[in-house]
Amino acid sequence: MAGRPDDTAAADRVTGASRTALILVAATAALSLLFAIQYYLGGPIRLPVISEVLSVAVSPDQRSIAAGSQDGMVRVWNMPAAFSSAILAEFDLARAPTWPVQGLTGHRGAVIELVYEPESGDLISVDSQGEVRFWDPAQGKPTRSMTIDGPVSDVDFSRDLSTMASVGTDNRVALWSVETGQLIGRLGSPASARWAVALSGDGVLIAAGMGSHIQVWDAQTGTLVWELAGNCESQALETEDECLQDDKSWLAHTKAVTALAFSPDGALLASGSADTTVLFWNIQTGKVASSSEGHWGPITSLQFDPEGRAVLSTGADNVLKTLRLPGGKSSGTYGGHFGAVERATWGPLDTMLVSASSDGTIRVWETANQYTIHMEWSRLGLQRVWGRTLAGWMLVSGILGLVAAWGLSRIERWSHILAMALFMLGPIVVIGLPLFEVLGYPLVTVTRLRISWPLILLAVWYTALLVALMREPVALLYEAPRSARLAEQLQASQRTIRLRFGVYGVGVWIGLLVLLFTVLRRFKLDVAFMGHFFSFIMGGASITLYISAASIALAVVLALLGALGRLSRNPIANGISSFYISLIRGTPLLVQIFVWYLGLPQLGIRLEAELAGILALGVNYGAYMTEVFRAGIQAIGKGQHEAAHALGMTRGQTFRRIVLPQAFRIVIPPIGNEFIAMMKDSSLVYVMGVWELTFRANKVGRQNFRAMETFLIAAAFYWVLTVAFQFLQGKLETRMARGERK
Amino acid sequence: MTEPIIKVRGLHKYFGPLHVIHGVDLDVMPAEVVVIVGPSGGGKSTFLRCLNFLEEPSAGTIEIDHVEIGVRDTGAKHRQLIREIRQKAGMVFQQFNLFPHMTAMENVIEAPLTVKKLDRPAATAKAEKLLSWVGLSHKRDEYPSRLSGGQQQRVAIARALAMEPKIMLFDEPTSALDPELIGEVVEVMERLAHEGMTMLVVTHEIHFARDVADRVILMADGGWVEMGPPGQFFTEPKEERTRQFLAHIL
Repeated sequence: MAGRPDDTAAADRVTGASRTALILVAATAALSLLFAIQYYLGGPIRLPVISEVLSVAVSPDQRSIAAGSQDGMVRVWNMPAAFSSAILAEFDLARAPTWPVQGLTGHRGAVIELVYEPESGDLISVDSQGEVRFWDPAQGKPTRSMTIDGPVSDVDFSRDLSTMASVGTDNRVALWSVETGQLIGRLGSPASARWAVALSGDGVLIAAGMGSHIQVWDAQTGTLVWELAGNCESQALETEDECLQDDKSWLAHTKAVTALAFSPDGALLASGSADTTVLFWNIQTGKVASSSEGHWGPITSLQFDPEGRAVLSTGADNVLKTLRLPGGKSSGTYGGHFGAVERATWGPLDTMLVSASSDGTIRVWETANQYTIHMEWSRLGLQRVWGRTLAGWMLVSGILGLVAAWGLSRIERWSHILAMALFMLGPIVVIGLPLFEVLGYPLVTVTRLRISWPLILLAVWYTALLVALMREPVALLYEAPRSARLAEQLQASQRTIRLRFGVYGVGVWIGLLVLLFTVLRRFKLDVAFMGHFFSFIMGGASITLYISAASIALAVVLALLGALGRLSRNPIANGISSFYISLIRGTPLLVQIFVWYLGLPQLGIRLEAELAGILALGVNYGAYMTEVFRAGIQAIGKGQHEAAHALGMTRGQTFRRIVLPQAFRIVIPPIGNEFIAMMKDSSLVYVMGVWELTFRANKVGRQNFRAMETFLIAAAFYWVLTVAFQFLQGKLETRMARGERK
Repeated sequence: MTEPIIKVRGLHKYFGPLHVIHGVDLDVMPAEVVVIVGPSGGGKSTFLRCLNFLEEPSAGTIEIDHVEIGVRDTGAKHRQLIREIRQKAGMVFQQFNLFPHMTAMENVIEAPLTVKKLDRPAATAKAEKLLSWVGLSHKRDEYPSRLSGGQQQRVAIARALAMEPKIMLFDEPTSALDPELIGEVVEVMERLAHEGMTMLVVTHEIHFARDVADRVILMADGGWVEMGPPGQFFTEPKEERTRQFLAHIL
């Protein structure tokens, strides 16, 4: 920009490129606000998002699959006659043809339950508002409807569909006649949280969760038959304390019961819980017959097969499992959904299962290899959370953007920084994460573009906006107002350059984190599993920290002694020191650990595993750091020694008071490096069975065939620790650098 | 007649095969200011550094304030004598050699604390006086990196004086300074001379030599060329070598 410092204030006008940037910011903010307002008022412009599928049923003729979703729609897909569970070699989920679908509309609430009438093939749907509709799928219209008290969180039908049990969000359990829609009776108190209800096939028993307990009533009389709270695996022991003292398992749910189902013969009650376990209760005795673990997230639904030989369990960990009965051992795991699996059922054919998920899809699975053989979307789109996130972002960025535009028009420096930070950091998360997520969907590229085009458009828009904001003439106008004195201009420019550097730096970090996150997600990690064992693995963190800290302390002392030895003119000290360095640096750390742990006991010196680890690591890193210290000490100039000697200081005083403090400052960065390396090498002590971080990650990972997941947790911890340490090191360096030219 | 405070007899110094000082003798009386000038490589600095054993002399004897050391001795007794001499002879270096990790004040009190085992209040009080004497009491808490060369050298002089030396050795104290900073250091040295300090100064500052020195020595090729009061030394030198040297620098 032309213009000299002595130009008048007239030079500070928003012209040219700056005006373009200002207009772009203002327009972006205004449009964002408009979008947010229409979104929250229920307007039509929104991101294409899926509708979570909450219920699924297979028609009696095994040809149709009905799915009810969050948007109140029941979709019925008709399976092509030729469809079979045989998987073709070149099977590609993304390119498989979709099935003809019929939409049944009319529900106002989310459709939470679907049942086919076995004789007539009619479909019954229940929504969360308590409306029950009866459909003839051939006509696509409801034949009749009835309303029970809503809102409803779970319902279950008897086998002949004559009665229906419901539990409301008000925690009340009720029994209804399906013929008349009349209330038959209410059961239990609404005192505690109830999420699940089940009705036995013959309609005789009702079970409902009550916190982590289960209440079972006789449907005819309304009397409480059982309150199932759990019992010891050894039936003789009554209380939990006795049971645990005897080293037996206490079989009970520890968190809310979230799913219930009666076996077809009514002898068993299966219960699933937010504690991720499934229990099978013997209704005759009221005791737990068997238990099943294997899900890593809360159980969302349970479904017996018609013969009572297996149970389908679905979980918020994105998988469904088949549990074989008796015993409840897992006989199959079906993974692939990218959201919680809400429901699953047997069919359409003998060798298939169908599942409904909050990722907006239903999947058909074959049971031999547990592969997905078909997938349908409720509505093609992004996960629903992204729709909400974008609206929230638009609201916030709209308001802040207007503030920034106001500031920009008045040539305020902060507004330029605000605008840059806002429109760089926000979009990276709000657009970057969903865009990357779509890349992971099993869809052809054209379809992916159909979902994500608004995001791509937004990304282009924001990029243009950023480019406009960051162009040099624009930046100059805000960084260094022409009207200010030259010295002020230069100072302001310096400050702003630093700030801009910071903004860009943070932007790059967040962008790379998003990228890393996305890449990791493509690894198909079992996130629920990671969450489940996170605290167990982290239990090793304190040991890791302790071993690292103790080892580094030992290493620093040894390194100092070693360096003195190396610099000494005493041949014995010099020899010992150089031998130490040579031996330790020349042999592998792992071997040294074994020597300390397994070799020393031969001499009658028995060390604790942790102590042996600290000694091995400390001695090893001491040898490496000796060289660092030696270099640091030698870097202190001869003049410093002479000045101290000339003052009458002895060699010891000179070293302690003059040389060492200066050498320390020099060696801090390389010592920091060594410490970071040691923190990670401390995992080697796991060979001695110390229960530190890596040991735990390894143990859990191998037991569950999820080594990648557990090691990633450990890696993340090491990284966080390293970042924290680098921060501290930076502080220390600044402190030690006093006297250094700044 | 008082005794000389510095007595050097037959001082030789070899660096390997290189014979740097060819057996020189020197007596310096208390409160006398002796300036040594001469061409580079003539052995001036080496001679000075031999006096407090920063360089171990190869032959000869050195006696400073009645402490006599035979050269080429070893052992604890010898090291103890060297430390005694060093406490009697303060030294100021060309490169200042302040301790960069200490403030001006800490630089000055360091040796009194560690060597003389003074308590901190006493050392600090004395250092305050010295810093104010060199005109730097306002810089007492600055690190050397924040001081100009002239200020650093003045702190270095205060640091040496804090040990209450009998003599002061100056090894080209102004050679590393920008021309406009030389004056402030020379001024301090002049005041020191006026207060009766025995000073042995290696320098190229002819003005200082002419105005302050009691005796000027020309040293070249490891030996004395000419020695005399400044009036005679600068105006009517006896030796041809001295005339050549003066012609170069004046």
